[in-house]
Amino acid sequence: MTELAAPRGYYQYPVVKRPVWTWEVPAYFWLGGMAGGAYVTASLAQAFGSEDVRRRGADGFYIAAAALLPCAPLLILDLGRPERFHHMLRIFKPLSPMNLGAWALTAFSPVAVARAAAQAGDDGLLPAPVRMLARLLPKRIVEAGGSLLGLTLAGYTGVLLAATNVPVWAKSKLLGGLFTASAMSSGSAAVTLIASRRRACDDTIHRLAAIESAASLGELALLSGYLAQSGKTAAPLVSERLAGPFWFGAVGMGAILPLLLHRLARPRHGKALRSLSTVAVVCSIMGSLALRWTIFEAGKVSAQDQTASLEFSR
Amino acid sequence: MIDAYKKLMNLEEPPAPRKAKGFFTDTSLCIGCKACEVACKQWNQLPADGYAMTGNSYDNTGALGATTWRHVEFIEQAKANGSRQEQRWLMMSDVCKHCANAACLEACPTGALIRTEFDTVYVQQDVCNGCGFCVPACPFGVIDRAPKDGLFEAGTAHKCTLCYDRLKDDMTPACAKSCPTASIQFGDVAELQQRARSRLGELHARGETTARLYGMPESTEAKEVGHLNAFFLLLDEPAAYNLPEVPRLPRRTMPERYGWSAAVGIGFAVLGALALGRRAR
Repeated sequence: MTELAAPRGYYQYPVVKRPVWTWEVPAYFWLGGMAGGAYVTASLAQAFGSEDVRRRGADGFYIAAAALLPCAPLLILDLGRPERFHHMLRIFKPLSPMNLGAWALTAFSPVAVARAAAQAGDDGLLPAPVRMLARLLPKRIVEAGGSLLGLTLAGYTGVLLAATNVPVWAKSKLLGGLFTASAMSSGSAAVTLIASRRRACDDTIHRLAAIESAASLGELALLSGYLAQSGKTAAPLVSERLAGPFWFGAVGMGAILPLLLHRLARPRHGKALRSLSTVAVVCSIMGSLALRWTIFEAGKVSAQDQTASLEFSR
Repeated sequence: MIDAYKKLMNLEEPPAPRKAKGFFTDTSLCIGCKACEVACKQWNQLPADGYAMTGNSYDNTGALGATTWRHVEFIEQAKANGSRQEQRWLMMSDVCKHCANAACLEACPTGALIRTEFDTVYVQQDVCNGCGFCVPACPFGVIDRAPKDGLFEAGTAHKCTLCYDRLKDDMTPACAKSCPTASIQFGDVAELQQRARSRLGELHARGETTARLYGMPESTEAKEVGHLNAFFLLLDEPAAYNLPEVPRLPRRTMPERYGWSAAVGIGFAVLGALALGRRAR
């Protein structure tokens, strides 16, 4: 393609409107993604794992339920008319990622809470009559169905941002994949965190660390692709005010450092393994927040950029 | 049974489709009087936006927004010591385009944004919950959410309604009614398009070779968002008016974007099953 000269615009006025969303949105993306990732990890552990993997992995159901609790309130808080939140559910319109996400959250929340309740029953945390009730839950079906809903919740958020005319969100096609990978890495990291605090076997921690590293590698690959496709459009993210939090927070702390620490921890056992893993997964979880927040904020800058908009729409 | 449900839910039949209505804004006739801005504000009872001076020619409005549904642009194209042909002052009254494929309408998760019987795009104020998704979805930066703490319809999305209330009574929208030079022409879209084509031919014949139409069914702008029910005759390239060359419709690329999400999710599940399930070392 030939490079055309930058088109001239109308004074410095932006072409598109700046998104009106505030901090609740990236916070929700982070928690919802982590909930989905933890639920999928826990379900995989139940379906394929050894006894210790199953037991430790099941803590992921608690994480999913706990991370989901603030999600709906955050989304409602961000609305212009919070008392009308239920209008999201007056129609089913998967064409709108916002509508699809509202339904995914509505469907996933009770499933995740029910599965966590069943786990609490198995762990002896519930009184006898409730425990009997919790036993009735068809776990395998709930795990499989819940995993699909969890993946939907983790996967739609990047597509939602990208389904706009904000150049830095929409230029690359990979934002949905990137957010999914980040969700899987933070979700499996949260499971690893609880496992290494709750005396899992070394082998279990190694296995959980392996899938978290796989997700982090995927995240790095998708991020490279995203930046390559975005080109100059990514400037608000990589070279302006947000460059520090992006490179050090989202990339360094969120993906590269956990990969190195997990690699260091691989030949180790016992306390050294636990300490290294704990640091790695805490970094990964915080890095996931940094990724959502920096990309979200970059969108506000990008929407104000007339040249970026005119380039994006040629 | 269905009738009982409709009665219970207070569901009405949508009105029968009428002829598509729209605006043909001929910028070659605009004198920048801003009567359209004022008439729009008056009829729709939109509050003033303050008295800030932008310093950008006579444009103290800046942009379309929640309480500004017509916006007159003033483009000064002057060359120092240039000949008369090199001095131009372009004026253009911008408005919601009421796209054939409207990004805001597709983004709306509540069904507040609808296609009316006049083929226009309309926000139902009693349905909108102010999620804000339509705001960055619009490729033209038209629709906006009113501030949550404001006095005007706080927290919901707003834009030009093509005076839906006036249309219902067979009246001309306020802006077109007030336009003193017929720069804003209202009518049936099919007929307006005919009129626009002949006006363009007339201008070309007179030597206005830079004149072009923006938003016709056959033009590049229509590639994704379709033709615009409110379309324009421009005297320069679209970018000069801050109009995108090819307005993007997010739906077009959505399957590919979801595809990447799904591929990553499935990949993670497969790798996770392998890592968690392989035999102990």
